[in-house]
Amino acid sequence: MILFAEPERRRRRPNLTPMIDVVFLLLVFFMMAARFGAEATLDLALAVPGGAGDWQGPPRLVAVSPTGVALNGVPLPEADLPAALAPLMAGTGDAVVLRPADGADLQRLVDVVARLTAAGIGRLYVAD
Amino acid sequence: MRFDAPPRRAPLEPLLPLINVVFLLLVFFLISSRLAPPDPVPVAPPVTNSALPGGAEGPLVLHLAADGTLALGVARGDDALAALAAARAAHCQRADCASAPPALVLRADAGLPAAALAPLLRDLAAMGFGAVRLVASAG
Repeated sequence: MILFAEPERRRRRPNLTPMIDVVFLLLVFFMMAARFGAEATLDLALAVPGGAGDWQGPPRLVAVSPTGVALNGVPLPEADLPAALAPLMAGTGDAVVLRPADGADLQRLVDVVARLTAAGIGRLYVAD
Repeated sequence: MRFDAPPRRAPLEPLLPLINVVFLLLVFFLISSRLAPPDPVPVAPPVTNSALPGGAEGPLVLHLAADGTLALGVARGDDALAALAAARAAHCQRADCASAPPALVLRADAGLPAAALAPLLRDLAAMGFGAVRLVASAG
């Protein structure tokens, strides 16, 4: 009498534990190494050293203090700054110089830069 | 005497939903995050909601901490400026800096006194950079 081995009814499921271990490790790695939050950039122009020859038009010096701004020495509300700058500029490509006062931190400067950038004034210098 | 075959043990918890969720999390982190080397000095960028998105990556990234410490890699202070000049020279040997000036990405802390920025920008201009991209976190 010939005995045939009974065919295996169903294949064993592969062991999932090592894969889960690796996937958890990857998950922890990406959670630790990732940097979140959208980042943006503001462009600041850099003055050509020793060359102020290409300045066009009247002076446009914005002093940035911790509590307000002043255009050419005249304090004015910050919201009025783009409108006050407009008659001094021939076009939006003209340069504006920002001069941070003592006590103003970078966040304050960035607020003013963002306001001017939103008004289309793109060429901003920071001087002291 | 007959004994019934013992019932096959069922797993305590079904594993497949767990694996599904973990894979979803993994894909989420892969998509939504970007990998970046950690900052050499602690920097919390200023917050704004009207900046141009993107551009925060570049070949040259300079860090500026709240106390005015410059950092580029492991170099600090004046060494960082020297390292930046060397990195710029190395970059300009590979790429054409005359037609496409390299952008310098500046990651500065929001609490930095803004008056400390002007001397640094003067140094960077003397180094040959035409503009810097100041990194801000969007709103």
